[in-house]
Amino acid sequence: MDADKDNPNPTIVNASDLPSRRRSNPTAKRPTLFDSLIAPAYPSYAVPLDDLSSPEVSDAASDDEEDTPREEIDAQEIYDLISSIQDPEHPNSLASLAVVNLPDISISPPSSPNSRISTVTVLLTPTTAHCSLGTVIGLAVRVRLENALPPRFRIDVRLKEGTHTTADAVNKQLGDKERVAAAMENGTLVGVIRNMLSTCE
Amino acid sequence: MPATISPLATLTPPCNSRAWSSHPHPHLPIVATACSDKTVRIYSLTNFAQQSSIAGGHKRSIRSCAWKPNSVGESVLATGSFDASAGIWRRWEEGAGKAEAAREVDFTSGLAGGDGAADEEDEEWRFAVILDGHDSEIKSLGFATTAPLLATCSRDKSVWIWEELEDDNFETVAVLQEHEGDVKCVAWSPAEELLASGSYDDQIRLWREDVDDWACCAMLEGHKGTVWWVEFESAERVGALAKTDGLNDEQKALLDVRDTAGPRLASCSDDMTLRIWKRVPKEKPSEPTGQGKMPSIWKNKDFDEEWVQEAILPQVHERAVYAFSWSKKTGRIVSTGSDGKIVVYEERWCNRSGADVAMRDVSPAPGAEEKVPGSGLTEWVAVAVTENAHDVFEVNHAVWAPRSDKDKRYDGEEVIVTTGDDGEVKVWTLDE
Repeated sequence: MDADKDNPNPTIVNASDLPSRRRSNPTAKRPTLFDSLIAPAYPSYAVPLDDLSSPEVSDAASDDEEDTPREEIDAQEIYDLISSIQDPEHPNSLASLAVVNLPDISISPPSSPNSRISTVTVLLTPTTAHCSLGTVIGLAVRVRLENALPPRFRIDVRLKEGTHTTADAVNKQLGDKERVAAAMENGTLVGVIRNMLSTCE
Repeated sequence: MPATISPLATLTPPCNSRAWSSHPHPHLPIVATACSDKTVRIYSLTNFAQQSSIAGGHKRSIRSCAWKPNSVGESVLATGSFDASAGIWRRWEEGAGKAEAAREVDFTSGLAGGDGAADEEDEEWRFAVILDGHDSEIKSLGFATTAPLLATCSRDKSVWIWEELEDDNFETVAVLQEHEGDVKCVAWSPAEELLASGSYDDQIRLWREDVDDWACCAMLEGHKGTVWWVEFESAERVGALAKTDGLNDEQKALLDVRDTAGPRLASCSDDMTLRIWKRVPKEKPSEPTGQGKMPSIWKNKDFDEEWVQEAILPQVHERAVYAFSWSKKTGRIVSTGSDGKIVVYEERWCNRSGADVAMRDVSPAPGAEEKVPGSGLTEWVAVAVTENAHDVFEVNHAVWAPRSDKDKRYDGEEVIVTTGDDGEVKVWTLDE
């Protein structure tokens, strides 16, 4: 069975070595963030988020009543959202296989005072340079973030440069919203992704 | 910015999931919106309400649709879906097609811009035929205006051309497979049987019939990412360059060359740019008329055409540009994309008078480039920008449409219709 896998013996990181917030129990859900996952991400967030509204936002253009306070979202929170996604062929999380790494997650703020769009970039490190499941893993990460983050985030998921033989082709697919949308109407693929994400909820 | 893009209306009710694109009817004040919920919604641009809908024909998202331009006494809509099929739908409609012809048919009720509820019950869309053949998602489709041809394109890397022999009998006349990636868009020339396609392989191809077979007559390279949309300009000269009074010889020569070359093509891409492409007219005794069929000269000359990039529009978008529309009335281009911006561009004569001549506008030495006037004579300017057009959502499509509501300000006024990931279709005016 293992012989069929692209990488039968992946390196597995000890769970206690994975990045987490020191002040919180890594297994505890962060209530503020997950509230926004359960409720429709838009147009309004739960009221208790008020105290988290960031100063960066309050002086930005908010001429619109629907403008609700933005919670701060940092790389650690993005990491927490995707680290527990299960690898499609190993009984391990993407974090423990070091496919997802905290330093490879970045968030770009809106490019101008008028813009309200932030960009999350996640660079993935496949376990082997020819892993045929790179696209599926990337898709799972993108779908997870699309479902979990408010729509003001644009999500760029890519394979880290030099980590994969067909990185450019995989990256182009992951960046194509039409292909991603069509893939999510493919029952087989949706089943695989749902399975990978089952460890997230 | 000299102009402002102002919200006029949001069409109701919105789709509750992603809406992909909205297509104005060739004659009636309605748009057809392709939705990811497998439906097409037909909205009135007169009262901004939904008038009818098409459902139950496709198993997956409807990505795009296209109105048949010359249908008589009825509306004909083609739908392209992620389920790999295209559907043809019909609905009797007074005012659809040619006005005189429409009166010859006895209609039970008029529909143009009519009140929604009654129409929906009395006048259903009739499913006419399904076009099967593509292996995977259909991304775009379009009817030719100069012949009974429909083009479809797909993730299967192919472009299909279908000929409508008689009603509901479509025959495949070509399967064009030169693209090396998904074909994202197709567009017909308004002046001749010339088809453009844009692809995931970053290239644009032009297709024409060569004796009996359709083949690629030009490949346009330049974009550094997926080409999301292509569209030809109007066959007639319109907009800021339409007036010929007071032009100098150089400017007149440019317009002459353009008339000879035929309508230009524009494209937009994942690389965040919009580009204009032009045909290089061939050296020959007689010139293409740009009307209807290609002149007979082609049969004796090389089939291949030479197209070159004429301009890159001012860089305003910060993410992928998904769609644009080239106004047949004003010659202006409106674009939109992942960054949620709507941008309007206009082509103008460069200001070359007296002291205002900028360094970049310095004329070439007399005679040096006489043969190819063009570059440097005109410039594209962004005349209006709005951000967050669909709140924080991506905008998938923008198109010009005739303004048809009661507050229309002047004859020929156009509105911008945008379609977004929030499922909404919004209507905008351009205020100068």
